[in-house]
Order: sequence, then structure tokens, then C-alpha cells
Amino acid sequence: MSNSTDVIVIGSGLAGLMAAYAAAKNGAAVKVMSEGVGNLAISPGCIDLLGYDREGRRIDDPWAEIPNLPQEHPYSLIGEAAIRESLEELQAALEGQGLKLAPFRDSAGAAKNSLVPTIMGTFKPSWLVPAEMDNDQIQNAGKILILSIKGFRDCRPQMIRGQLLRYPGWANRDIATLVLPAPFDEHGRALNALDLAHFLDLPRGRDWLMNRIKGLGKKYDLVLMPPMLGARANSRIRSVVREELGCPYVEMLSVPPGVAGLRIRDALADMLVNMNVEFYENAKVIRSTLAGGKCGSITVHASGREFEQTAKTFVAATGGVIGGGVLLGQGTATEAVFGLEIPVPANVDEWSVPELFGNHLVSRLGVETDKSLRHKDLENVFFAGRTLGGYDYAAEKSGHGVACSTGWLAGKLAAGYAQGGN
Amino acid sequence: MLETTVVVIGGGATGMGTLRDLSMRGVPAILLEQGGIAHGTSSRYHGLLHSGARYVVNDPASAKECIEENMILRKIGKECVEVSEGFFVLTPQDDPSFVQPWLEGCKKAGISAEEVPIAKALELEPNLAPDIRACYRVPDSSVDGFRLVTHNRMSAEKYGGQAYNYHKVTAINVENGRVASVTARDMFTNETKEIRCRFVINASGSWAGEICALAGLNAQITPDRGTLIAFNHRFTSRIINRLHASADGDIFVPHGSITILGTTSVPTDRPDDTTAPYSEVAKLLELGRPLFPDVDSYRILRAFAGTRPLYTPGGASGRKATRNFSVVDHSADGLEGMVSIFGGKLTTYRLMAERVCDVVCGKLGVTAPCRTADEPMVEPTDPELLKNAEKYFPVHGLAVMANRLGDELPSVLKAAERMAEAAEKSDACNATHATDYCGNPLLCECEMVSLAEIERVARDPQIHSLKDIRLRTRLGMGTCQGAFCAVRTVGSLVEHGINLEYPPTESVAKFAQERWKGARPALWGIQAREMEFGRALYAGVLNLDGASHEQLN
Repeated sequence: MSNSTDVIVIGSGLAGLMAAYAAAKNGAAVKVMSEGVGNLAISPGCIDLLGYDREGRRIDDPWAEIPNLPQEHPYSLIGEAAIRESLEELQAALEGQGLKLAPFRDSAGAAKNSLVPTIMGTFKPSWLVPAEMDNDQIQNAGKILILSIKGFRDCRPQMIRGQLLRYPGWANRDIATLVLPAPFDEHGRALNALDLAHFLDLPRGRDWLMNRIKGLGKKYDLVLMPPMLGARANSRIRSVVREELGCPYVEMLSVPPGVAGLRIRDALADMLVNMNVEFYENAKVIRSTLAGGKCGSITVHASGREFEQTAKTFVAATGGVIGGGVLLGQGTATEAVFGLEIPVPANVDEWSVPELFGNHLVSRLGVETDKSLRHKDLENVFFAGRTLGGYDYAAEKSGHGVACSTGWLAGKLAAGYAQGGN
Repeated sequence: MLETTVVVIGGGATGMGTLRDLSMRGVPAILLEQGGIAHGTSSRYHGLLHSGARYVVNDPASAKECIEENMILRKIGKECVEVSEGFFVLTPQDDPSFVQPWLEGCKKAGISAEEVPIAKALELEPNLAPDIRACYRVPDSSVDGFRLVTHNRMSAEKYGGQAYNYHKVTAINVENGRVASVTARDMFTNETKEIRCRFVINASGSWAGEICALAGLNAQITPDRGTLIAFNHRFTSRIINRLHASADGDIFVPHGSITILGTTSVPTDRPDDTTAPYSEVAKLLELGRPLFPDVDSYRILRAFAGTRPLYTPGGASGRKATRNFSVVDHSADGLEGMVSIFGGKLTTYRLMAERVCDVVCGKLGVTAPCRTADEPMVEPTDPELLKNAEKYFPVHGLAVMANRLGDELPSVLKAAERMAEAAEKSDACNATHATDYCGNPLLCECEMVSLAEIERVARDPQIHSLKDIRLRTRLGMGTCQGAFCAVRTVGSLVEHGINLEYPPTESVAKFAQERWKGARPALWGIQAREMEFGRALYAGVLNLDGASHEQLN
């Protein structure tokens, strides 16, 4: 590989992919270096923008709540315009690859969070959901069917049914359950959603499912199923199911493999390759050369060798604590690529509170940046996604939203810097 | 009103061992335990089946007891014991003049202590520090505290003993200077039960002082807290001890796929002081580094603490207080019908139970001898049965599961067979292979726990929560710390019509909360990533936190 470019993006989760997209769209030559594939690949495919406020109250309209966020929150840093622009770009990019996501619009046309059912029989608020999903229709559905496949341990219709009935207004819902026989035997390993998705991407898989769901739409208003309808952005199975089922359906949010996140990754990666973005996978950054407040190059370990890569700018979309972008030690925290120290209390007990779902320092820990997503010591490095810190994506339900918007802005700014701006 | 001869208070190793001994001697007995399995100190174990070598210099009597009981336990509880051996290792920091008296002490106590050349020691345990000065092998082994308690119970029940978990003793009723009955509250139904009895055996460990107080007695129990670290690696196959005067953080014990380092000693005022502070975790790592220089690189799965019940009639505390045990007949204090057992350690639980039963049986006029050292606690596993079971279980997990289940193994194997047959019949697909695991999937992959085992355990009326299931099966104790298996398990239980104390959302949330407690003091490295992943899954994807406020009932 040639070793010089405009922008190197480190990390290929949603933040990294959006950064690469923004940079490429703005005319920069882009390389993506990635050790793994990020949370996107194992996550469900809805884009959470903001689901809960700091008091734990559910939010219907994220835009009304975003201005109330503290100033260290990534959304506050980058501003509403950047968030909106990034979401529009993401939607357009995905639609171009055959994957249509959109916010729910109520009867007055106002865009709102959707309540997406999960395999725990809970609802989770999310912003960009499959376009055909209608939140009102779900919340008011008369006869509901919960579907699963025999041997698929992670989707248990009876539990889901019992749990859904616990929600206000749901106690008397008519919910039926159906477990289809397994289409194949995994030779001793239990089925997971990805097995089913790959199967349903095959013609015989489509036939198998069609034979079993034909006519269900006559008996039910809504079918809930595990996330299994193909692993690709443009999987045919989804349009076929839409036609053959005869009623709306929802793929529930699930434990990894979330499958639907793979579709987003598939769509963006394909698109980026066609834009001449170069991808280097299984590539771990082991060193960086810093001088005069800039990063000159990074050294990557890949294919058993070390490669030094120079670039005018870098985007660090390295996943923070969960992704390995922030390394925690015994009373220390360090950003992983450039070695930036992140101040933390020496006493690890202060990093968290006893309540698991409480407010932990460690959940909000990341690199402190200015509004241009840069750390004070490095002028040509832009940070994005979980590595930023300042927010608790699990509690407020904002993971992909922050990744998308900060990734997009970081890439745009990086491209601008690389082309001579500052 | 219930009636029995002896009420045993406390369901740890000592209490359960006592129930077994009484039952085997033909004495009707009921045991009351305030919490789940081995709720107290026995569940917070280092798990060292002492050879006794640790005590030969300062406490030779204790050392002798240890080696004798060690040998007995390997015979009667072989499913609970992971047979290996111990090394006593002299590091550059240790005083070499300690070695001679130690070797002499081992000899006197009858504990084999054979020198191992350093090169050989390092070959056998390559993670040991290369600068060690000397190494001796002793017959230490590892013992699983949960299994020990469970198997004692199984044996006791075979002989008519009864044990009740989640029953908190609220009163010891005295009539005319004699114990007449015990009152306990069922923590789930809130129902109070009174049990008439002739004797009470107080085997409540760190709570022994509180139980004495219920009977109007004053006993000096100083709970002493010890912190332990469980690493997610088996980086030693042997118990590794520092060859020095007993101190903190000087023993590493392997258990299956983990290693436990301990311990510390801090006086506390609460018997249930089970929170491990970071400062003690840091201290343990520092103390452990001379033995294993890479100790900081191993993922800490959890840090936990338990209280040792130190009997301090003179007020001595900490390491100076005796680890010996005392059997106290309270008739000396003017109360007939109550005997307490104070102090002790896991390794000598059986002996402690024997001694206290001897006192009580003496007073009852029961002459049947103690046979707890002679008879294995559970039936040995039938190899034929196990061979057949390979069709329905992953082979690696089968032996481990067999040891866990003890006497319940045959019924679990039968259940798995039934599940597989049912799956095969009802599956309309044209599978060409037998649906080997279709009917009995693994619910916990980290610890290889299958549906058949979990379902059987969950049906026990004393099992109320995922935690109770975990203590019987190791569900959620492995690498993912319950991230995947908790949801799967609750789903399967609902499908099989088994209800836990709480609905699914709360069951999973409480289970995750409990795992979180042990993660907090060591929240760095891979552990921090794994914990964030779990929280992201539960809150970020499944929204258990939101649902717990939004779902009704």
C-alpha cells in the first residue's frame, strides 16, 4: 500500500464509516484502518437519537430535549445543524443502497421517536427505524402474532408476550405466539439470528419462509419476529415478506448478532468502496508520531507486519472504553492511539456508583474536545463517537446518533483541514 | 407448629455439615438459613482445601486438623474437590530463615513437603516469577464451597434432614431456662413459623453473636472482612502460597477456569460487610506480584469480600485471633438446650460439625457414632449413564455438570433425553442428523450449562431467582458475566412454565446488578469493556432500565 493520504480514519464502526463518507464526499482521499468492526456490526439497525432525559423520563421528540443537554455532551459541542445534516446524509446514503430508514411521523406529521419492540418484550425508543414501521399502528394493533424459530434460544415468544402485556394499555391485547420448525440443523450449535438471516438471503430460504407465513396477514394485524430477514442492505427477503405476509411486521431488537446493524454496515461499506475509500481490516494502530501539536503518521500492525501511514489529518473513531479507544488502568485512563491522558480519580471506586443503571463516571469517560472535535494538544486529529465521552449512550439511548453526527462532522472537518483550511 | 429434635441455625458449610451429621445419627433436625445457598461466609470462599502447611509454625494443632480433614474430604466429597497440589514458594522478599522451622513443622504435623527444583517448578508453572528462591510441594487442593454445601444437604436429606433457605430466625424462645422453640420468618411469604425443639445449634458464623443475643446471651464475635479477587484465567494449575509467616494476599487458588487471589483481614462491625473496596484490590495485586509478575495483565472477573467469624472472647482481632473453632455449651451461661459453634474454617467444617454434634448427642443420649467421614455425600456417577448422556450434552461440560449435580444427575439426564425426543418428533423439517442439541440447548455457553440442568434446578421450590440458579449451576459466572445467558434463561423458564420471584425484566436487571457489584472495584482493562458491553446490551438495546419504570406489576 502507498503510505500517504489526506485523511486516515481509525475505526470502522458507524462513526468511522460516517467520517470516511463525509471526508470522501468533500473530496479527500481517505483510508480506513480498523482493528475490528465496531458495535454497528452486532447492533440492531435503528438509529437512536435521544430516548431518555437525565431524569430517566422517556422522550418523544429528541429535538425538544437536545437543547437542554449539558455543554460537554457531543450534541451540544457540534450543534443541531450538524446533527440534522448527518442524519439526512445517512438516510440518503442508505436509501441509495436499498435500505430505507426514517423517523415515525404522527397523524399531524410531526416526527417522533418510535417505540421499537425488543426480544425482552420491552419497548425502546429510537429515531430512524425501518420506513415501513408505523409506531401508531404497533401501539394500536388489534391482533398481534409473535413469531420465532424452534431452537432459536434468544427469541422466546411466551416471555415476550407476557412482558408486552405489562405495558399500560396492553393488558388486554390479543397476542398469539407461533414457533416455526427449524429450517436446518446446525450440527449441535444452537441457531442464532445471523444463521437465519444468511439462510433467508438464499432463494431456498425465501421459499421456506414464504410457505410458512403465507396468509398470516389475514389473521393478524401485526407480526413481530426476530431480526432475521437478511444480512444485506438490499436483501430480497424483506420485500418478499412485505408482499406475502399481507400485514405489517416488525423485526424486534435483539442481543448480538443484531443483524440489522450489519445491513447498515454493508450499505455504507459498499458505497465507500465505490468512492475509492481504501479499507484496511485487522489493522491495529500501535504507535503514532506526534510533533509540534500535530500527528505526522501512525504505525499499524497488519498481516503480521508493521506499516507506517502518513496523512494530513486523522479521525479517531476508536470506540472509547468499549471499543478499546480509551484504555483504563488501575486509576488511570489513556486515549489509545495518541496516548492522550484523560484525568480520572486514582480511586477506582469513584468511577462508578452501586446502581448498575446509575450515573457512572466511567460511562461518560472520553477525550475532551472543543467544538471542532479536536483535543487541545493535537490540531490535525478529530475525535468521534464513543471516544468523545460526555454522554451515556446506554442510559439516554443515543449511541448511533452520536456516532453518526460526530463521525460526519469529524470527517467533514478533517477533509477541510487536509485541503488547506484550518 | 413444626416440631423436631434439633434446629440448626445457619446454612453454610458448618451448619449443613451439622445437619448431615445429625441426620446420619438418626436425630431429626431442621436447618434454617436466612439467605440463599451458603449465603454467609461459605459463599465467599477462597476455596482452599488446606494441607495445613500454612499453619505449621504458628498453629500446629490447626495444621494437623487441616491435613486430616483434607484427606477425608477428598474421599467423601470428591465431586467438590479439584485435586491438584500446592506449592510453597520462597520469593526474594521472603526471609529464608523461615524455611527450616516450616519444614520441621510440616514433618511434625504429618504434612508432606517435598522440595521441587526451581527449574522444574517453573516448567510446571511457567507464569511464576523466574526469580523464586525455593519451592516445596504440599497436598493443598481446591474445593468448591457451593457444591460442598449443596452436597452436604443432599446427603442430609437422604437421611431425613430438612433445610429451609430464606428463613430468617427472629426469636429463640426460652421456657424455664431451657430452649423451647425457634421462630423464623419465611422471607418470601412473610409467614412466621414456630419450630418446637429440644436443642438449638447455632452455626450461623458471622451472625453467631446476633443469634446468641436472641437467646439473651452475650458472645464476642468480631466479623473480620477479607477481600478476594477472581481472575478470568487459570494462570496456575496449582495452589501457590508464599513461604512466609501468614499474611495478606499470599495465596493463589485455581478453580476450573478461574484463579482466586486472597486475602485481606480488616475488622468490621457488620457480618454482611461484603463490599470489596478498590484499595484492597490494589493491595492484593501488589502482594501477588512477587509470585506472578504478570498479575496486572489478567482480567479480574470480580472482586468480592466475606466476613470471617472470629471468636474474640478476650478481644483479640485480625490475624492474631484464632482461626480455631470453639464449641460452647450455653448451659455454662445458664441456658439449657443451646450450643454454639464459633470460628473455624471451611477445610475443617466436618470436624466442627462432628464436635458440636457429639456435645448435643451426648446430652440427648444418642449413642450412634459419627459416620460423616466414612460415607461419600453423593452417589458416585455411573460411567454408563454418563456415556449415554453424551448424546444430549456437550462432552466437555458433561463431567463438570455431573460433579455439580451429584444425586440429581440421573434426573437431569432423563430430562435431556425426553427433551431431545420431543424435539425430534415435533420437528417437521427433514433434518438428516439427530437433533442432538435442538431439545437441550446450552443456555450459558461460558460455563456450559444446558437447559435440562437449569430447568431441573429452577423447579426446586427453594430456588427463587436467577441468582439462586447461578449458585447451583454457575450460570452467569463466566466470561460474559450473564450478558447473554440471563435473558435466554428467563425466556426458557417462561416457556417451561417456571416462574421466578420477579418478572423477566426485573429478574434480569437484578441478576445484572449483582454481577455489577463485583465488577466495580476492578473496572479497568478488558473487564471494563465487557461490563460496558453488558450495560449497553441491557439498557441500550433492551431498555431494561426504562421498562422497569414503565411496565406495570
